[in-house]
Amino acid sequence: MNSNPSSQPIIELRDVVKVYSTAAGDFPALKGINLQVRAGEFLGIIGKSGAGKSTLLNMITGVDHLTEGEVLVHADGSSVSVHRMKEDEIAFWRGRTMGVVFQSFQLLPMLTLVENITLPMDLCGNFHPKRSRERALELLRLMEIEEHADKFPSLISGGQQQRVAIARALANDPPILIADEPTGSLDSVTADHIFELFQRLVEEQGKTIVMVTHDQSLAPRFSRTLRITDGELDQADLAEADLRSGGRRKK
Amino acid sequence: MSPRRSSPQPVSVQHAMTSADLTPVPSPERRGESMIDMHGVVKTFKSAAGEFTVLKGIDLTIYRGEFVSIVGKSGSGKSTLLNMITGIDHPTAGRVVIGGTDIYTGVTESQRSKWRGRNLGIVFQFFQLMPMLTLLENVMLPMDYAEMYDFDERPKRAMELLELVGLEKFANKLPVLVSTGQQQLAAIARALACDPPLLVADEPTGNLDTKSADVIIDLFEELSRRGKTIVMVTHDPSLTSRTTRNIIISDGELINETVAKALPWLRHRHMLEFSKLVQTEIYPPKATIISRDEHVEKFFMIHKGEVEVVLFDRKHGETIISRLKPGEFFGEIELIRGGKSIANVRAGANAPVEVLTIRREDFQRVMEQSPITAEALAKIVQERLKEHRAADSRSGRGLFSFFRRRP
Repeated sequence: MNSNPSSQPIIELRDVVKVYSTAAGDFPALKGINLQVRAGEFLGIIGKSGAGKSTLLNMITGVDHLTEGEVLVHADGSSVSVHRMKEDEIAFWRGRTMGVVFQSFQLLPMLTLVENITLPMDLCGNFHPKRSRERALELLRLMEIEEHADKFPSLISGGQQQRVAIARALANDPPILIADEPTGSLDSVTADHIFELFQRLVEEQGKTIVMVTHDQSLAPRFSRTLRITDGELDQADLAEADLRSGGRRKK
Repeated sequence: MSPRRSSPQPVSVQHAMTSADLTPVPSPERRGESMIDMHGVVKTFKSAAGEFTVLKGIDLTIYRGEFVSIVGKSGSGKSTLLNMITGIDHPTAGRVVIGGTDIYTGVTESQRSKWRGRNLGIVFQFFQLMPMLTLLENVMLPMDYAEMYDFDERPKRAMELLELVGLEKFANKLPVLVSTGQQQLAAIARALACDPPLLVADEPTGNLDTKSADVIIDLFEELSRRGKTIVMVTHDPSLTSRTTRNIIISDGELINETVAKALPWLRHRHMLEFSKLVQTEIYPPKATIISRDEHVEKFFMIHKGEVEVVLFDRKHGETIISRLKPGEFFGEIELIRGGKSIANVRAGANAPVEVLTIRREDFQRVMEQSPITAEALAKIVQERLKEHRAADSRSGRGLFSFFRRRP
C-alpha cells in the first residue's frame, strides 16, 4: 500500500494521440495528451460526452491501442510502458495494478456478491482460494455492504451494486483505481455516498484514483481537477481556477 | 435420456446432480414436455412496514421450446417471478420444478448454484460482462465455474458461441471497445456457455436501440427454433408480438391467457378481474352452444378448439358464416346491442371446444369502465353484422326480421 502521497508520478502520459479511422475519415479523439498523476492523488477529469474522457482512460488501462505517444505506469516498484506489453502480459499486469469501475456495474448475475469479488482473485492467483473469500468479505465490509454477501446482484439496489463493483475492483489490492462515470446512473444521495467511499480509499488506503465524469459539480471534491475538451487537456486545476474566479471551494 | 429425467415425478437437485444425465440436451424432439412447472408459488416480503405479498399463488407451466414473454407493470411481480425460476430468490410457499428437478425442496444454496450453472442461462438488462476480460474470456467464465468441458476445449466452444451471435471478429476485444448491443450479444453467448436448455432474460433489450433490440430478438427466435426454452421479461409491447406465448402478471397474479388474447384492449386489472370470473364450458363436436333467437346471457371466449357460426334456412340448408379460433370470442353482438342471438354457434366438427364465459352483468360492468374495449368491440360488431347481413340475405332471411323482433 502506498500511503504517502508523493511528487513521484505513478502514471505518466506523454504526447498521447488517439485517432479513430472511420468511413467518414479520421477522427482524432486525443490530440497529444501530457499528464502526470502523482501517487495518492484523487484526480478528476471533467468533460462533456465525446470530449475524449473514456478514450483517455482506455489509454491508461491499455484496453485500447494508442496511435502515438507513450503511457508509463510506475507502481509496485516497477516501471511499465503500458502499450509496449504483449496482450497476455498486459492483462495480467492490469489485473494486479489497476481496478476499474464503470457506470454500469457489470456484476455477474449468476454469482453471489462474495463470489463476484473472489472471481478476479481466482483469475489473478494473487490470493489463496481460502483467503479469497475472507478478503472478499473484508472488502464488502469496507464498502458497508457485508450483510448482503450471499445475495445475488439483482436483489440489491443500484447503489449497492456499485459498492460491490468497487469492492471487486479492489480485490487484488491494486494501487490504482480507474473510474468511468461511476456515479452516472445513481441518484444524488447514493452518488454522494459512493463518492465518499472513493475519498476514503485515497485518504485511508493511499490509493491513487483517476475518475472521469461529466458532472461539473464534483470538481471541488477531487484533490485535483482537470478539464478535457475536444481531446485536449486543460492543465489548469479547475477547482483552483474556480476559486480565483470567486467560486467557493468546499473542504 | 435417463428415465429419471423424463419421468413426471420431479427429482431433487441432489438427484439431478448425481445422475449421469447431467448435461442438459437441448432437443427439439422433446418439445411439448414441460420445462417449468410452478405450483402455488407465493412470495411475501417482510419489511418494517409489514408484510407485502408480491406473488399470490402462481400456477404456471412453460413447455420446452417455447419463447415466452412475461409482461406486467412495474411492481406487478414480474422480476420476482423470474427470480423464482432462476433460484436467485426463494418462494415463501409453493413448488418450482424445472426440467423435472424440484429446485427448492431439500437443497442447499451451493447445490442450487451448481445446478443453475449447468441448466440455466441468465441475461439481464445491463450486460454484466467482466470489464477486464475479453469477450472470449467472458464467455468461458461459466464453463470454469460449472467445471464443464475440458480445459482445452473451452476456448473453442466459446469461439463457436461468439460465431453464433456474430461476434467472432471481436473475440479478443474488451467489452468497452464494442457497442452496447454487441455487449448484450456477448452476454447471451456467455449465458449459453454451458448449453443450458433454459434461457431466462430480464429486460434484455431495455438498454438498446431498436435495431440492436431486433438482433437480440432474432437470435432468441433462432435459439427457440433449435429447442431452447426462452423466458423473457419485458415491458416493450412490440416484443411480445414476436414471442410464441405471452404471459401477463398483474398485482402478483397471472392473467388468463385466453382473456388477454381475446380482449387485449382491457387494462390489466380488468383482465385480472375477468380471469377470476371466467367459467369453463366444454362442448363435444357439433354441439350447439347458442341457438338463433335465443337470449344470450354470456360472453364467450374460445380457449381450445373451434366454433362455427351457422345460419339455416329451408331453401339452402346451412351456411357457415365464419369459423372462430382460440383467442376469438362470440356473444358480444347480443350483449352489446341487446336481444336474441342472430345466428347459431356450435362446436367445430372435429374436436370438442372449450370456452370461457363471463356473465352478462360482469361483462357489461367492465365494458362501462373500459371505453377503449367497448369501442374496439363496437367496430368488430359492425364488421360481423356486415358479414352476417350478406350471408343472411343469401340465405333468404333478412336481418330486419330479427331487428323487428328485438324486445
